[in-house]
Parts: sequence; structure tokens; C-alpha cells
Amino acid sequence: MHDLITDFETVTPDLWISNELAWKERLLKLPNWHQIPLINSNASHNLPDGSLVRFRGMIQDMHNPEFYFEQFEIFNTTTNAIKNKSGKYRDTANVLENEKINYTENLKSAQRQTMVVVSMPGLNDWAQQLEDRQNHLKHLEQQPNTSKRLSQSVSTKLKRSYDETDEDPDAMEVVVPEVAPSKERKTSESTNNTANVVSREHLLNFPLPDVPSKSCIVKIYDESESYKLNDMIEVVGFLSVDPALSGEFQEEKDPLLDPQIESEVETITHNPPPSLVPRLHAVYVKKLDHCNPLVTETIDQGAVLKEANAAREHLLKALTELLLGDQLAAEYLICHLIACIYLRQETLALGQFCLNLSNLPTQKYPNYARQLYDIIKQFVTKSYYLPLTIDNMNTLSLLPKKDYECNRLTSGVLQLSKDTHLVLDETKMEQGTLDSTGVNNITALGNMIKTQKVEYDFKYYKMEFDSDVSVLILSEGKSLLPSDYHVPLRPEESSLEIFDAIVEAATYYLKEEIMNVIRTYLTSLKLVKYTISEDLQFVEDDFIEMRSKSDTQNPVTADDLHRLLVLARLVSLSRGCDSLSKECWDITKSMEAERLHRVKNRVASTF
Amino acid sequence: MAMRDYAADKESFKNFFVDFCQTDDEGNKNFKYAEQLTRLAHREQTAFTVELDDLHETNEELAEAVKQNTRRYTNMVSDVVYEMLPDYKHREVAARDALDVYIEHRIMLEARNHRIPGEMRDPRNRYPPELIRRFEVYFKDMSSSKSVPIREVKAEHIGKLVTVRGIVTRCTDVKPLLVVATYSCSACGAETYQPVRSLQFTPPPACTADDCRINKASGQLHLQTRGSRFQKFQELKIQEHSDQVPVGHIPRQLSVYCRGETTRRAQPGDHVAITGVFLPLLSAGFKQMTQGLLSDTYLEAYNVSCLNQSDESEMAEALTEEELSELAEEDLYSRMARSLAPEIYGHEDVKKALLLLLVGGVDKRPNGMKIRGNINICLMGDPGVAKSQLLSYIDRLAPRSQYTTGRGSSGVGLTAAVLKDPFTGEMMLEGGALVLADQGVCCIDEFDKMAENDRTAIHEVMEQQTISIAKAGIMTCLNARVSILAAANPAYGRYNPKRTIEQNIQLPAALLSRFDLLWLIQDKPNREKDLELAKHIAYVHQHSSQPPSEVRALPMRLVRRYVALCKRKQPFVPQALANYIVSSYVELRREARNARDVTFTSARNLLGILRLSTALARLRLSDVVEKEDVTEAIRLVEMSKQSLTHVEENVQRGISATDRIFAIVRDLAGSSTTVKIADVIERCVDKGFKPDQVDACIEQYENLNVWQVNQVRTKITFM
Repeated sequence: MHDLITDFETVTPDLWISNELAWKERLLKLPNWHQIPLINSNASHNLPDGSLVRFRGMIQDMHNPEFYFEQFEIFNTTTNAIKNKSGKYRDTANVLENEKINYTENLKSAQRQTMVVVSMPGLNDWAQQLEDRQNHLKHLEQQPNTSKRLSQSVSTKLKRSYDETDEDPDAMEVVVPEVAPSKERKTSESTNNTANVVSREHLLNFPLPDVPSKSCIVKIYDESESYKLNDMIEVVGFLSVDPALSGEFQEEKDPLLDPQIESEVETITHNPPPSLVPRLHAVYVKKLDHCNPLVTETIDQGAVLKEANAAREHLLKALTELLLGDQLAAEYLICHLIACIYLRQETLALGQFCLNLSNLPTQKYPNYARQLYDIIKQFVTKSYYLPLTIDNMNTLSLLPKKDYECNRLTSGVLQLSKDTHLVLDETKMEQGTLDSTGVNNITALGNMIKTQKVEYDFKYYKMEFDSDVSVLILSEGKSLLPSDYHVPLRPEESSLEIFDAIVEAATYYLKEEIMNVIRTYLTSLKLVKYTISEDLQFVEDDFIEMRSKSDTQNPVTADDLHRLLVLARLVSLSRGCDSLSKECWDITKSMEAERLHRVKNRVASTF
Repeated sequence: MAMRDYAADKESFKNFFVDFCQTDDEGNKNFKYAEQLTRLAHREQTAFTVELDDLHETNEELAEAVKQNTRRYTNMVSDVVYEMLPDYKHREVAARDALDVYIEHRIMLEARNHRIPGEMRDPRNRYPPELIRRFEVYFKDMSSSKSVPIREVKAEHIGKLVTVRGIVTRCTDVKPLLVVATYSCSACGAETYQPVRSLQFTPPPACTADDCRINKASGQLHLQTRGSRFQKFQELKIQEHSDQVPVGHIPRQLSVYCRGETTRRAQPGDHVAITGVFLPLLSAGFKQMTQGLLSDTYLEAYNVSCLNQSDESEMAEALTEEELSELAEEDLYSRMARSLAPEIYGHEDVKKALLLLLVGGVDKRPNGMKIRGNINICLMGDPGVAKSQLLSYIDRLAPRSQYTTGRGSSGVGLTAAVLKDPFTGEMMLEGGALVLADQGVCCIDEFDKMAENDRTAIHEVMEQQTISIAKAGIMTCLNARVSILAAANPAYGRYNPKRTIEQNIQLPAALLSRFDLLWLIQDKPNREKDLELAKHIAYVHQHSSQPPSEVRALPMRLVRRYVALCKRKQPFVPQALANYIVSSYVELRREARNARDVTFTSARNLLGILRLSTALARLRLSDVVEKEDVTEAIRLVEMSKQSLTHVEENVQRGISATDRIFAIVRDLAGSSTTVKIADVIERCVDKGFKPDQVDACIEQYENLNVWQVNQVRTKITFM
């Protein structure tokens, strides 16, 4: 076993290519993935160039495919020997000083896909810490890494010298004389210039502002698999951090002689410094269903369901307390936390569960929403809190937009991977004027809630991308955004007085073990297969009855049945049943009845 | 693969250019290429376009070879043309610019210096062909070849002629690109020429002319700007159309290099079709070091043409096998109807009607009269019955469509506005929604909310399909061949069956009669239907898919393309069917006379039936209307009427005779406040009421103080 690991530590692209199938098979059988360094948890400057590493993240953007040389010849000018090399899994040609690439013959080019992958947006601290603990490799830091890196980056140094040969007047390819002298100086100059042009944030292009993150440029060779935007993936591949890859070191162009269409900003954006954005040549890409470090890839459905009730008890207790003694709201919140889209057909998306908790006691506790979120984020793997202030709405760019200047997709807050919980705090909204950006942002949020689709702006046209984001709206009155389930909160007087104490008690009650149970529960329930038995007589009968009672004031439509069935599914799942029973259906019905009753008899908040 | 015999190819090109001729309608022979050559020789034309269609006609194999290895044949044709040009020069051409003079001088110089024919010259000092030639050779792709999606342009296309479509996202300024660099030596004065074929070039280090070489003077070379040849150069970036992008992917881009005549053809935002050769671009210099293992690719443009966004040539492309087999499944008509807004359950007849609206009937112009083929539909119904959803779906589906709401649009906004140009002071016409939707669909939501005078603008459009403008010195007639799909809410929120349509929708009869079909969509509890709906929804939740018994919805793109295909058919009504249609119409009229008619059965209905039948025939891709089409059309008309009267049957049972008589009296009164009782009785007896019922009604409402009856009881006066 140990051998295997060391093998993977020392494998090089050339070795890998020599026997790709066997290596891949060995990789898949590898018992301990954690031994392959994960860039998310280990600083990339501790990792040597050309070594096998892992990265987990969300596909943020896709660039045009690259044509690379799968096979090429190197001609050694001193020995006249010809060598065959492969450009697969690497960015630089590793040529020695006296070697030349034969660009005219015996070239075989192939295509590879380039994607920008950013670490999971909205990954909560606890998950990050757990992941770090599992994946952090101490020995990497202890190594006298500088020397190792030096030996590894010989190629880089050689490149430099090769570079200098370029200026040799005897060489056949002479750069235009004006440009040739003192390249060193030029390079440093341009570095200075461009440092002002783009910021670190610009290069990282992370969807959520103010969150530390990492991003990688991943080159994918296997074309058979199709990866979609916003997919969560784990990549195993060869690291490439050759500093020469940075676009900042591009030579200055003479606009007359070199009419390249790529603007400077584009070059820099597409070739960020590898120290900031490492390149990864993927040998294996795995699509992830979730990114909770507590849950393994394959779940044991039976065990999950058996343990569900216990976890639910804990969660219900904590949430009921936090929601000031309102058990109904807590039930709905649990359903909301385990909801995900399970069917998408053309325009129909089933399983979305946008919850609007209104009537929050904001007068007494102005930060109630924030405090509630602080607890919720301890449970869920990925979440983001967005206060709906007028200022935020008018300034934030929620929708991703194609930037043709830099030729990339500039991310927006709504570019989220699936199962991210978006908490919108409407209690922070005050009176004011929304400008056109604000109106667009509100519309975008509304559209996402209604159809679970986000329109990305490609300037010349818009394209819809599917999303699977659970939205929780916390508001005083009914939210101005649409929602599937609106629950006005009914706080108990007694709890209202001692909310601060409740928070403290809840924090005490939710010890790490209980937390972990809840975290596992919330993630694994999303993966459980759920069935509805063939016999749904009770559902059909109930619906017909509801329809017959429907009138203009309370119309009952197909949507209501959809909503009931979605809720019933979650009610059953949360109680550890993987099929719909009459009992759960009745619970669901009474929950909805009580909720609708509350909505109808809504009174203005007095707290 | 055997090498092609290029010498033979060259010869065949030569013959092709000389011999190729087309015979036009009048029998005149038209030597297309010979004429082009003549114009080239006289410098009246720069681009020499070889249409592969023509070449294919004469030499199939050669055309194929050109497509596979376009770059090489471009050079070959260029050589051929150059050799042939002197033969086509009939008169002296005045020099047009400095370069012409320069070239002339050079040729003269050449002739003077090297009188000995056949003498080999140093290749470097010989004039490169690019310097002397003032024409550009372009190939035009065969009209039968399909465009390749940008995503599919891959390594195997390198060197080949491909046609792509996309949207221009960026274009550079047009810049001069060096084609031949001319240097003069400071030591011996000899000129050295360097053809530049890539974007970068390396100047030769020293003079290689005989003098310098022998003397080992190695004189310095200086670039002569005036003696060098430049070419217009522009770089475009195009991006895939949104419908070519697979779900969940980012649109891809492609660089296009345009030279000479192909520059300045497109601007950012334009939809373009570009024919060109896909080539790899080796980066040189420093970039080569950093990305030494990469090659950029680009498309060398041969032909750039802008497509109108509404230009549906892509739609017109033949359907693929796969699509055909999908369409070939049975009962296409209902299947396509169901594919419209599949998320809305039921309402099948409404969807069928909408499908026919998309396809449209056939326009007819007997003796200069114009009978529209477009079908107009008005959807009515209580709030929340998915009218707007249907409208917006049609708006998305139709290739040309405008969506507007009645309240949000003025008559001017719908038709056309005359504006004064602020700079020139000229009057200009600016088209409104109806003009913009010409040959498409105009969806008008909240039709009833439209202001009265704005609505009148639609009258003309709906029947004559034109918009006449007579404003401030502009008198014109704009085409608005548009189908109108309107949605209206009943007055006061709900459809009141006690009233007539006009009262319910508050639209004048003149406008309502212009709709071929009026549908009332209602959502009423109904045990059987509810059960069906419940079963359907439960099934979706159970199996995470649509029930198998149901027809799978066709993808929107396929529906769109099939509709485009249908529109090309022009079916006619055979004589044999005329009698059937006439008798059906007579029957409709008779029924309308007998029953209380809520709609307007008029000659317009007959036309409506014809339109619907032709649309149905189109949908079958047939050229002849069949009896089934007519039957289906009549059924739809019937169903649309039923949707309106059905309500009445349902509800009117509970209404007393008195109320109904009151309604008649009110109708009779119209705008005046008095009605003669004799008229009332006459009318009511017609409707099947007894005179004493009428008396009772009059008395009852008199007691309610709704109206007064005069002393002699002959006249009713409303209060």
C-alpha cells in the first residue's frame, strides 16, 4: 500500500503517459485519496511543479479549447539527435538549451478543454476546517521545499536561458530588432504596469465577495465526459506552476506588426500568475454530488434513514427554540434544509422549496435574522447570507456576465453550485429607490426562486442556466419576492423575552457530536432515493375534495398539489421514511392547513 | 493517398475559367469568369470569386479537392489568373494609385534589365507575385454545404473550407498588414523583397544581392514603406449562437482573420455566416516560449456575410434523420400541440389553435384583392388561467415575434411613428410592434385594457395586414403581415355569463369579429378532470418523469424548424371540397340564427375556416387541403364557440326568466333610455318567453325602481 502512495508522489507526466490505463486503474483503486495533496488545504507553493495533486471546486467558466502538441520532435542542435516528446499534461516544452522544437513536421496536435475551477463558493467554516484536517499534509511543509522546488524547476531556468538564446543574432528566428534588446528590463516594466491593471480579486473571479478562495485552471483531456458549468468536481492532475506562464510576462506588442486581437487585459486574465492560480492537467475528474466532508461518497440508505429520527429530534429541538417556540416554523425550516431539486423537465422543476419566514421579531432583536443564520450555517455545508439592503441591490452584480474585454465570464453572487443555501435577509431592507440594477437584481432573484434558473448575460443574448439553490427569505411582512411556502412566525411571549439566553443555550446544546449528526443528516437525506407507492388513492381523493371547495378567493390549482407532494416527500424523508405513507400525508396536510390559516389571519408584527 | 496532379488541376482551372458559361433566361450566354477576368484586367474589380457550385458542375472531383485543401488552390488560381490576365486586357488602363505606377515601373525595369529570356534570377531579387498582383482570389462555398457549429470546428477541419455562423463579439480596426516587404540596400542599392505570410516577420539580416555578396559588403537593409505592399486586415471574434450551445456550457468563440475585400463587413452584434479556411497559427517569439506547446487557431475568411436576425435560413436547413424519425411518429398534430407550453396541463384545443396560428394559412390575392392567411386568436378567461404563460411561450417559440401589453402600448407604439430627425429635419418612420413583427406573431396581453383610440389602429392590421400612415408629409403603407394573439381579462375580473361577449370583454364587435377564434379558458372544478390532473401530478412525483402514455414534448427548436418547413407549403382547396365547405358554412349560419348567438357568424367565419384548413394542410406538409382538414377546422371553430356558450348552459339554468328578459330589454334599449313595450314583447316572444312572463318582469323591475312605465304602459324609461 505504502508503495502505491509513494508511486503517486513521484509519478511524472511522462511516466503516466507511458502507461495511462494502468495508472488510472491504480488511481481508482487507491485506498487513501487523502495522501494525494489537496490544493484546497495545502498551499500550492509547498507543492512541486509536475506532481500529482487534487483540487475540489466548482466549474466557474469554460474557455475555448486549446490545441496542443500531443507528439512533437525535438532537434538537438549539438548532437543532431531527434527526440519525440509529448505535450500532454504539461504547459511548457521542457527543452534544453541546445534543443529546438520542430514546428513544421511530425506534429500531432490534439485538443484539450480549459476550465476555470474555483473552490466551492459558500463552503462554511466547519466544513473547510474538517476538510483541512483530513487533507492537510504535514510533511509537505516540513520538507525543505525550496531545494526540492529548485530541482524541479530546472526546466524553468532552462527556459530563461533558452529565452536568451533568442536574442542571439545567429539564431534564425530573430525578434524584431527594436524589441530585442534588454528584454529583462522590459519584462520588469510590464510587470509594474500590469500590476495596476488587474487586481487579485479580478484574477480569482470568485462568485461571492469577501470570501477567501482558491481557483485553478484545469485542463481536461478526456472529451467523452461532459462537464457543465457550476458542476462540483474533484480533479486529480499534474500541477503546473511554472512562473513563465503568467500573462504579466508577455512581451509588449507592437500594434502595427502584431495585430493580435487579444487585448492586454485578456491575456493577463487568461494567464494569471500560477502562484495565484495554479494550472492543473487533469488525469481524472470526478463529479461530486455533495461536498460535505462528513459524508462518504456512497451512502448507506438504510442506516441514514434509521438515524434520521434521532437527528431530526435534535434539530427540531434546537430550531424550535431558536424560532422562539414555533414548532411549525421549525418543521418547515427542516424541510427547507433538506430540500433539493429532484426532477427537472423543460420548464418544470420539482423539489424546490423556497421558504419565507415572516413576522420576525426585528423590533426587539434587530439582528435576529443574522443570529438565526449564524446557527444555520453551522448545519449546512454551503450557504451564503445576503442582506437585501437597497445599497446591496443597487451595487451588487448578482448575475454572471460575459466580459468580452477580458473574454471571460465574470461571476455573480447567483453563480452557485447545487445545494447551496442562500439566505436573503429582507429585514435589512429600508425605504429607498432601486435603480435599474436593483430592479434587475430583484427580478433575477425572483426568477431564480420561481424557476430555479439563472439568466447569464452574454451581452448579445442571454442564456439560462439551471441552478439548484434553496432560498430562505427572512422578512418582517410577506416578502416582496415570491416564495413557495410562506410561514408567518408565531413567537411565544416567554421565549421572546429570553432570546439571547436561548442562543447561548442552543450553542451549548449543539455540541460538536450533535452538530456532526445533524450535518450528516442534512446532506445524506438529499441523496436518499425516495419512492411514492403506486396506490395514491388518498392523494387523489384529497385533491378532488380540495378542488371542489376551491373558489375565487382560495383557488386550488395544480400547483397546490405539486406543493403538497413536495412537502410530503420532505416530511417523510425527514422522519426517515423513503416512501410516502398515509400518515405522513396527513401530517403534511395538517401542516399546510395550519400554515394557510396563519397566512390568512396574519396580523402585523407587534414585537 | 495519391498526390493530386496539380499541373493537371491548373490546366483544368484554366479551361474552366475560359469555358464556363451560364445561359440566362433569354438564352444569352454569360461567360461569368471570363467577364470577371476582363474586369480584373482593367482594374475595375479586385475580388475574383470562384463559386464552387460552378466548379462542381464541371469538375466534381476538383471542387472536392479545393474544399479539402483550399489554401493551396487559392495560390494556384492566383497563378492561373495572373497568367491569363494579359489576354483579357483590351485597352490601356490608367494607373489608379501610386502602387500601380510602381508596379508598372518595375515591370518595365525588369524587361529592360533582363532581356535574355529564360534567365534564372536570384529568387530574392525576383518580384514576388504578391507584389505585382492587384487581385484577390476567393472561393465561395457550395450552396448545398451546411454550416458547421463553432463547437464542432476541430483539428480535422484544419486546411479545409468551412462555413460557420455566429455573432460578432469583437472586431478590431482595419489595419494595414504587410504582405511584401521591400528593402533597399544601403551599400549596393539593390532591392530585396520579402513576402510575409504570417502576422510576424523577421527582416533579413543583410543584403543578399549579387554585388554585396561578392564584395562581402553586407550592406544594411532599409524597409521601403512605399515600395512594400500592404493589405487591409481586420480580426473578428465570433461567438456561437445561443441555440448551438449545449445546456450548461459556455458559448465558444472563434477568431476570424479578414483580409482585403472581406474586411469591414461586420460589426459587433451582427449575426454572420463566414466561409473560410480553418488554420493553425503558430505563435512566435516570447509567446512561443511560454506556450510553446500550444497553437492558436483561426479562420481565414473568404466570405463574410451578415445575416438578418430574422433570416431563417438556418431554420430552413433540412431536418436531420433523427429529427425526421422523431417527427414521423404518429399523430404529429396533437403531439406538436402538446409540445406548446408543456408545463400547462390540458387545454389541448387551445394549444392546437395556437399551433395553427404559428403555421398560418395561405395568403390569397384574387384580382388584386388581398385575403390574409394569418390567423388571429383571442384568449379570454378568468385571471390566473395561464393565458399570459401561453402568450409568452408563443412569443419565445415564434421566430419573429413581439410581446406587448395593451396598457403599455399606445396606438403609435403598435403601428408606426413619424419622427423628425433632429439633425436633418427630415421626417422618418419608426416602426412599432406590429411592423416589427411583420411576418410573425404579435402577442398583446391585457388586450381589453387598451385605450379605445389605440385599438382602432389594430382594425386595419387585422384584416388588411397593412398600416397606412398619413402624417406630416409622409403618406405610406407599411406591411404588417402579422398574426395577432391577444389575451383579455373579462370586465370586472370574472366572465359573466349573463352578458354578451362585447359586454364581457368590453371590445367592439368590429374588433372581435376579426379574430378567427375566440377562446374562453376557464378553470372549473370537475371531478373527472381533477382526478386526471391529480393522477398526472402524482405520476410525475412517483416516477420522476412524465407518464409514458403521454406524448413526449418535442424540443422547442424542432417545433420551430418544423413550423418553418410547413410555412413553405402553399396548399390549395380543391374544387371538390368547395361544396362541402359551403354547406358547412350554411349550416353554421343556420345554427347561429336559431340559437342565441354570442359570437358573430359572418363571412369572416368562412374565411377563418379556410385559413385553419390550409394551416392544417401545411402542417401535414401537403399541397392539397383535404376533407379532414376542413372537418378539424370546423371542429375547432365549434369548440371555441362552445367554450363561450358552455358557461351559459352551466350557469344560466339558475337564472330566472325575469333576469333574462331584463337583459333583453337592456340590450334593446342600447344607449337610449326608453324602449317600447311592444318591441320588448315582440323580441321576447322571439326568444321563447311568454307575454305574461314579460309583464311580470316589467312589473317587478318597476317596483325595484329600475325603470318607469308610462301611464298607458307603452314605454319603459330607465332611471
